[in-house]
Amino acid sequence: MVTINYRNAAVKIAESVYEPAEDSFLLADAALEVCIDGMKVLEIGTGTGFVASVVQANRNIELTATEINPHAALCAKSNGVAVIRTDMFAGIIKERHFDIIIFNPPYLPTSDEEKVPGWLNYAFDGGKDGRKVIIRFIEEVSSHLKEEGTIVIMISSLTDIEEVKALMYRHGFKTRIIARTKCSFEELVVIEGKFS
Amino acid sequence: MKKDLMEILACPVCKGDLVLNIEKEDEKEVISGTLYCSVCNEYYPIEEGIPNMLPPDLRE
Repeated sequence: MVTINYRNAAVKIAESVYEPAEDSFLLADAALEVCIDGMKVLEIGTGTGFVASVVQANRNIELTATEINPHAALCAKSNGVAVIRTDMFAGIIKERHFDIIIFNPPYLPTSDEEKVPGWLNYAFDGGKDGRKVIIRFIEEVSSHLKEEGTIVIMISSLTDIEEVKALMYRHGFKTRIIARTKCSFEELVVIEGKFS
Repeated sequence: MKKDLMEILACPVCKGDLVLNIEKEDEKEVISGTLYCSVCNEYYPIEEGIPNMLPPDLRE
């Protein structure tokens, strides 16, 4: 089994799970900037648990994660992440409990022909415009976030950055891009949204 | 799962409270068992330390 060592974390990678890539590293770095000791943190769709593991290894926080893919949930658990197998927020109380909610959503525009077979599709399929899952996240997230809580989400220029920022603004978030990097055919950005 | 995870778990259908039934645990956490929602009369399994909160028709 392959292990990735990054910023004091050793993360095991299983098959049929999204393998940490540029977006995962960028999000992990950005999440470390935002997370402060003592906070309650939730990661939605943790995959291997890479981002959660990096944050846990460097901050004294209370972290919980959700994941729908059974292979990914087991992988995250083996990496020491407190994972709940559920669809986004479904199995979590509707209380404003968390200081920070982190999400690396499926953000790629995906046609029916581009879908990946099996559970891995959940890691990629952002619907036709790449924003299908992000829209659901933004609509649901504030009922789980403390007042003045923060969300940290990873998207691509292919997802339409301005459209996602506008969506967040309409749901009460002040937005700021806190990390960005150019990849071959796209730019990856991490957007911080402060609820106010 | 650690027992204090109960603070944030809810039934995925009605969002109500759940009752923890432990089948196997070690000094750190619950390894297997169930979470029961009395309103929906539904059991959610805990396997290998992971609570499975998918509705029954989506479980494998």
